[in-house]
Amino acid sequence: MNKSKLFIYLFLVLLFLVVRASAQSADSLLNTLDSSKKINKVESTFKATHIVLSHSTETQKKHDLDLRIRHHFGDIGGEFGSAHTLYGLDVATDLFIGLDYGVSDKLTIGIGRSKHDELFDLYIKQKLIQQQKDSGLPFNLTFLAQVGLVARAPFATTEFANYADRLTYLIQPIISRKFSSRVSLQVMPSYLIRSVSADPNDPNNLFSVGFAGRFKLTKRLSFVADYTLINGLSRKDNLTTPLYNPLGVGLEIETGGHIFSLNFMNSEFITENNFIANTKKSWTDGGVRFGFTISRNFSLFKSKNKDPNTKSTIY
Amino acid sequence: MISIKTKSLILFLLAFSCATSTNAQTFIGKNIKVNIFSSTPVEDIKAASSSGTAVLIAQKQELAIQVNIKSLEFDKKLMQEHFNENYMESDKYPVAKFKGIISPKIDWTKDGEYNVTAKGTLSVHGVDQPRNIIGKITIKNGAVNLFSTFDVACAAHQIKIPSLVFTKIAEVIKVTIQGTLTPLNK
Repeated sequence: MNKSKLFIYLFLVLLFLVVRASAQSADSLLNTLDSSKKINKVESTFKATHIVLSHSTETQKKHDLDLRIRHHFGDIGGEFGSAHTLYGLDVATDLFIGLDYGVSDKLTIGIGRSKHDELFDLYIKQKLIQQQKDSGLPFNLTFLAQVGLVARAPFATTEFANYADRLTYLIQPIISRKFSSRVSLQVMPSYLIRSVSADPNDPNNLFSVGFAGRFKLTKRLSFVADYTLINGLSRKDNLTTPLYNPLGVGLEIETGGHIFSLNFMNSEFITENNFIANTKKSWTDGGVRFGFTISRNFSLFKSKNKDPNTKSTIY
Repeated sequence: MISIKTKSLILFLLAFSCATSTNAQTFIGKNIKVNIFSSTPVEDIKAASSSGTAVLIAQKQELAIQVNIKSLEFDKKLMQEHFNENYMESDKYPVAKFKGIISPKIDWTKDGEYNVTAKGTLSVHGVDQPRNIIGKITIKNGAVNLFSTFDVACAAHQIKIPSLVFTKIAEVIKVTIQGTLTPLNK
């Protein structure tokens, strides 16, 4: 009898397990099937490929072309500012038109032309590491290489004695992290290689470290800033004309395809090859200026998408 | 008197048959197709995912379907980024989900076609809405096929469309779900 009692007990246990199995909710089963764990990329650390002055870790999406128009006005205050130049708005210290194209989601090539020095620039930007959620890699890493060509006529016969003197090279690994949907921070050490420098005390090759950040105020409006530290690193402090570290702050407004940035910065120039090397204005002496960026994104080769389930049409 | 061995065998078989019969009445699907479609006079936008998941507990007629928002693919990647960042906030609300009870009562073991209504909760963008969703269930060779098309109003799920892009994005999005569920453990 003892044994049959044991069997009844065993049967009850089994029955309990079976009932439990059938009572398993659809929810818990769904969680075991959950495919969401596969998608753990952290995207859109920044809205655009640029922050204020500097590049961000973002690259263009595949086959997207970004037309970028940038403008730096004149000094708001100081000798060259005030009401006589309508606080710098009469002056354009630099203008820039550029095109950035996404060869793939991770590789972007860009060309641009600045008013200052008639500088043409060509860059290549490769995303190497994408930040991941949870236990994945905690940061983004993008590598930037940019070459600048000064196209203007020489100011003196001795200038640009060699054609190579017109060329400058920037090498910049960019590291960023999206800390939350609101806050992203970035650091970018860079090395600028020049053949000549305007000041004999200024080394030809400059090492600098940039810092940048974004604070999202709303879904489409962000406060952005970047600062590049050059003085005190590779540059000596006995220059005949003082040079300054560029600092830019701005509001970035995204409207679906367009990005508008309203910026204030002390650098007269737009491209790294110019502003890292030659920022002569300072925030403290009225050398701050207004600037803006208009970015318009075009998706090319849409006709290549033959999938009727994802094909979008603009009428 | 039956021997202990036979008794234990009977009990085991009984329990086992109970277990298998419940398993046979749970269906799962891993590659459910989810399509969304926004149509305005200015622009038609479509996106698709083929990695939705579904669970059907036949006994209770209970159906749960979910899709990862980030798995929805657009032909314009920037549009996909804006969809995730600005509209769905998929970092905060990673999945859209429906859970409900299907009526009328269906014999899940027989082949057949049924027009059904699922009464339950649709959760999109972190907002739950009670919904009666109409669909079609086809049972063939032990597999269950789901098909349903329904509308989701952006405003009902607190998805705000700014006036600047109002002409491009519809206020009501058409969602289509299609997929096959197979018995669990088979």
